[in-house]
Amino acid sequence: MKYESQKIAYKYFVLATLLFGLQVVFGLITGAKYVWDFDPLINILPFNTSRAIHINLLVVWLLFGFMGGTYYLVPEEADTEIYSPWLANLQLYLFAAIGVTAIAGYIAGWSWGMPFLEQPTILKIGIVVVALIFLFNIFMTMMKTKKWTVIQGVLLGGLVMLAVMFLFGIFFMKNLTTQYYFWWWVIHLWVEGAWEIVTGAIMAFVLLKLTGVDRALVEKWLYIEVGLVLFTGIAGIGHHYYWIGTPNYWLWVGGIFSALEPVPILFMVIDTLRDVKERKVEITNRLALYWAVGCAVMHFLGAGVWGFAHTLPQINQWTHGTQVTAAHGHFAFFGAYAMLNLTMIYFALPQIKGLKVFNQRLGMKAFWTMNFFMIMMVLALSVAGVIQTYFQRVLGMDYLTTQGFMKLWFAVFWVSAWGFAIGALMYIVNFFTIGKKQVAV
Amino acid sequence: MTKAQAKAIFVWGTVLSAVILLALTYNSLSQIPQRTHADRLDAQVATGKWVWQKHNCNDCHTILGIGGYYAPDLTKVMSYRDADWMRRFLNDPGAVWPASRKMPNLHLKDQEITDLIAFLSWVNGIDTNNWPPKPMAATASAGTVEKPGEAVYRAQGCSACHSIGGVGGHVGPDLTKVGSRRDREWIEEQLKDPKSHNPNSIMPSFAKLPEKDREDLVDYLSGLR
Ligand code: HEC
Ligand code: HEC
Ligand code: HEM
Ligand SMILES: [Fe+2]
Repeated sequence: MKYESQKIAYKYFVLATLLFGLQVVFGLITGAKYVWDFDPLINILPFNTSRAIHINLLVVWLLFGFMGGTYYLVPEEADTEIYSPWLANLQLYLFAAIGVTAIAGYIAGWSWGMPFLEQPTILKIGIVVVALIFLFNIFMTMMKTKKWTVIQGVLLGGLVMLAVMFLFGIFFMKNLTTQYYFWWWVIHLWVEGAWEIVTGAIMAFVLLKLTGVDRALVEKWLYIEVGLVLFTGIAGIGHHYYWIGTPNYWLWVGGIFSALEPVPILFMVIDTLRDVKERKVEITNRLALYWAVGCAVMHFLGAGVWGFAHTLPQINQWTHGTQVTAAHGHFAFFGAYAMLNLTMIYFALPQIKGLKVFNQRLGMKAFWTMNFFMIMMVLALSVAGVIQTYFQRVLGMDYLTTQGFMKLWFAVFWVSAWGFAIGALMYIVNFFTIGKKQVAV
Repeated sequence: MTKAQAKAIFVWGTVLSAVILLALTYNSLSQIPQRTHADRLDAQVATGKWVWQKHNCNDCHTILGIGGYYAPDLTKVMSYRDADWMRRFLNDPGAVWPASRKMPNLHLKDQEITDLIAFLSWVNGIDTNNWPPKPMAATASAGTVEKPGEAVYRAQGCSACHSIGGVGGHVGPDLTKVGSRRDREWIEEQLKDPKSHNPNSIMPSFAKLPEKDREDLVDYLSGLR
């Protein structure tokens, strides 16, 4: 850490960590409703409300993580302090306040009612204000720089794209097809566009610092990866336009472009492994290293393999809107974005706290526990999804009868989710006690 | 490869893909009105869409295959349910469909229900490239033609409480062989006024069914032996 204002990142990481914990709690509640038919909370916290909270917390903690990561990264890349720490704080509290209001609102039945974008319009406007403050602050910081590195340029591009896409999710449209058409401009162009860019830039930074490889090499690969992500991903949005009332040429465009999406993700794995192999310095922060390599691998499995598995129209026709999608959603969000943020947190935290060496035992346990149980959860949902696809879609059995046949796998999923929750708890404890002498293991 | 070449991949790859998306978006937006018969998208359908959003139905149900996976997809629900059933169901889901997994009573107002039905009926007509697909099993046995009464049985949601051939609910008796224990008149009476046979019956009355539909239904049931 070179600049005092990089410490701003810490507060963002604290919030990200706490909200991550809360997300897991709401996941357990939501999952229980699949396992037991009787739902004691049906009138207080029905499935739709608990799901809305679960997925909103996910997005919000990842955004806090990205923002924290950006505040940590930019001073070092731009070689200057943050333009305005005061704005950075204001933006943090404003975002947190909007988040709390949104969640309290969902429980009270205040919703805009599109998945992931349930925030009532007035809160969405607040989120836009937060984004503008953030982008302004980052942009002004970068303007102070003498040398524009590729990493910060790509990062800024990704953040601007992230903010711009959100605008397409604000307006009410009378036609459900049009509404969903642009809903995907937010959801798909986020996870297979803007967020990939942000992730690419942050990962490039971490690998550069961690392994000491050549900057020129890292930046060249960053261009290639991000370029291919956007080339395949932008038109790849067509894999969501097969069945929603859009013209059928999307079956071709979506199928072909999205089938290529795993290629850049595979490049990221190769790139990461090569950087680590050709490292110029000894890597003492094993935790950051594990999360970085783990992220590359799980990103590829969750987004690349599990995404590819149902992206062709011939297959998607049968699996669309089943638990197959849920399996992929969990795997990809965790592998790509939860793990990226944990990588950045484990990279930055010791430096913010000024630790040269620290006990990494609990952190390692958290790493293996979370990864193992996430894979179990995904496999359980995948089996449930295949059962659903086969019985309901291929054989024509009715929805609820099919759900009965999936029960066992919902149970396996839910028990594994408890395992994951224990891993997450280890991480949270580790986050708050790292570097302290007496670490409760 | 040089860094300049890598940058060219980045710039041109992005531009090319973005141009494709924008051009096809322009074209799609011009085709969507026709594919969704937007001429029938009146103010009531739009209000119904807002009711749908306000109650956040979409985080339990998928529609067009998108949303929560906890409850049936509603894209084509109006193809197999009729408006009368829908009205009774949305008014009190638990009474009309005592299913194992429950939909909460959302205390919808009558007007909201009317708007929702208009919305779901409009959605039902969207050209989804034949999604959801016809089950392969159904395609394979395409020789067997559905009896008119079977369609009524489905539209009225009888299977919420009754099962035939092992498929359906268990709140009411199994109807697989109902024709061998009840005659036509008896079944007709049960449909018109379930309380005539059991004063405490929880089966809803179907007295309001059109004559033709009830005849078809009775034909179908009394044929189950
Ligand atoms: C908490 C989850 C939940 C919410 C919220 C919810 N539903 Fe449902 N819905 C269900 C479940 C579960 C079923 C199937 C079993 C049953 O009928 O109880 C169902 C069944 C239905 C059906 C019958 C489907 C069929 O195949 O016949 C319709 C229609 C329906 N819901 C409409 C709505 C509408 C409209 C809303 C919003 C106003 C809504 N639901 C909100 C859970 C929900
Ligand atoms: C809410 C649950 C429910 C629904 C919906 C329902 N029933 Fe029933 N039905 C019952 C119950 C319970 C009985 C047992 C007798 C009684 O209590 O009236 C019954 C009895 C019957 C019987 C007599 C069976 C016997 O052998 O005694 C027939 C026939 C029947 N129902 C047909 C239908 C048809 C056709 C429909 C759809 C149009 C339908 N039911 C919808 C609950 C329901
Ligand atoms: C890290 C990146 C990714 C994340 C976080 C992610 C996440 C998700 C989520 C949450 C959904 C469900 C959306 C909804 O309906 O509510 C989804 C759907 C989908 N994803 Fe991804 N995804 C990623 C990458 C990919 C890739 C690379 C592919 C293809 C190769 C892909 C293919 C699909 C497909 C086909 C669907 C639609 C499923 C359906 O028809 O129901 N995804 N994704
Ligand atoms: Fe996608």
